[in-house]
Amino acid sequence: MKKRYAYILGLLIVLTLGYNSVYFKKLSVVKAATKENFDFKAYADSIYYKGILKSKKITLGDLTSLMQSNPETTFEKYGNRLGIGNSAYFMIQSTGKIIDITDGLYTIADEKNGIVYIDTKYIFGNAIRDASGLVKLTDFKTNAQFNKVSESLNDIIRNDVIPKEISKVKLGDSISFSGAIKLSKKQNLREKITVIPSQIKLQ
Amino acid sequence: MKIRSLALLLLTVIFVFGCSSKDKSEKPKIAVVVSTLNNPWFVMLAESAAKNAEKLGYEAKIFDSQNNPAVESDNFENLISSGYDAILLNPTDSDGSISNVLKAKTAGIPVFCMDREINADDAATSQILSDNYSGCVSIGIEFVKELKEKGNYVEILGLVGDNNTWARSGGFHSVVDKFPNLKMVAQQSGNFDRNKAMEVLETIMQANPDIDAVFCGNDAMAMGAFQALQSAGKAYKVKIFGFDGAGDVIEKIREKKIVATGMQFPLIMAETAAKYADEYFKGRRDFPQRVPVEVELVNAANIKDY
Repeated sequence: MKKRYAYILGLLIVLTLGYNSVYFKKLSVVKAATKENFDFKAYADSIYYKGILKSKKITLGDLTSLMQSNPETTFEKYGNRLGIGNSAYFMIQSTGKIIDITDGLYTIADEKNGIVYIDTKYIFGNAIRDASGLVKLTDFKTNAQFNKVSESLNDIIRNDVIPKEISKVKLGDSISFSGAIKLSKKQNLREKITVIPSQIKLQ
Repeated sequence: MKIRSLALLLLTVIFVFGCSSKDKSEKPKIAVVVSTLNNPWFVMLAESAAKNAEKLGYEAKIFDSQNNPAVESDNFENLISSGYDAILLNPTDSDGSISNVLKAKTAGIPVFCMDREINADDAATSQILSDNYSGCVSIGIEFVKELKEKGNYVEILGLVGDNNTWARSGGFHSVVDKFPNLKMVAQQSGNFDRNKAMEVLETIMQANPDIDAVFCGNDAMAMGAFQALQSAGKAYKVKIFGFDGAGDVIEKIREKKIVATGMQFPLIMAETAAKYADEYFKGRRDFPQRVPVEVELVNAANIKDY
């Protein structure tokens, strides 16, 4: 009789230890984590042509004067920052005359803002995606996928849009342009402002 | 007989519930589970998280996972059975750590990831992570400009199972790969470790003696690369790029021995994780799943600010 209890107790211990030492995960969960059949190119196309090109942008002149009078509210209202940091991205538009072109860097004498640079060579990173404010971090499962949106968006602008647009402009031309700028809360606005372009047009 | 059985049952119930329930007046306990305490950067992250938790009035203890998901799993078992109320986690592996986080979630314990991401968006309560990708895009641009778009280079990766490794490498290559005259002659893991990176670069240089630059996935490895290059008499010829913003690399940038690094903010990540745990205890439940923390490029042009 006592032996029977000992066996039952032993069996219970083995079952408890066995249950706690093995963990099962649904295959669908594992597959979902690695599945990447999302069409980033098509998604970026729609963000660029239906979103960024049609969105209302603040003029660089308005932005800099607002930054001087009320930086906190301006950051809040016009800036886009995902997470924690000292800087934010802004989507702006402006006009000016091309006074220099060196290695893809266009120097613009902006009517209201002095000298502004447009970088047509280094269109990389998250500037355009984040400045647009059109893509949410929560729309994607991992940061890697979220960053692929930027890469596709940058590819469209760097390879398709900007080469066509800059082929139509030359030194001395007046242009209108839009794009992303990064400003830091501690930044001196008289320092160099570089625009990552989303569009350049001959005026 | 019946009375004895009842008494035995009552004692068992008291024993079981007495062990697992917590005195209501007791302070909530926060566990800080860190991937390794063998790297000063992670020591700083863990100690800062624990200090912030204590500052907010909680009891905090650090658990070292020794870069091993199995040790991390044991840590989770221990702290779940010891009645911890929240976990501030620096995971060992972006996939391997998911089951540990889910175990805590099942036990009703919130987990706040710091610095390293896990590949699931429904396991941790929130993940506070350096924006490694953007930081390395900036380093990539600096790299291309410094090398004038031409040259042979080596990439020393971090731990291959860590998302940060690939986010950094991905950000860097999203720029550098667009310049066809920049040729990567070798890419190898240095496990985020200074000595390992030194050995790796020494071996690579035997087959590829003419390199122009080395991009390292963290600053410890950048220091290892510097040592290897110094021993080979090439410290001033080969340009070194790191990532972290470690004190010794900042000094080397000041001395023009290392070109650039990405400054991370571990103290902000630790402080935010502890603050989120505090808010969780006070009833908040709507946490963003991922919170990127800005990384700043540090180079000769702005070194005076650091």
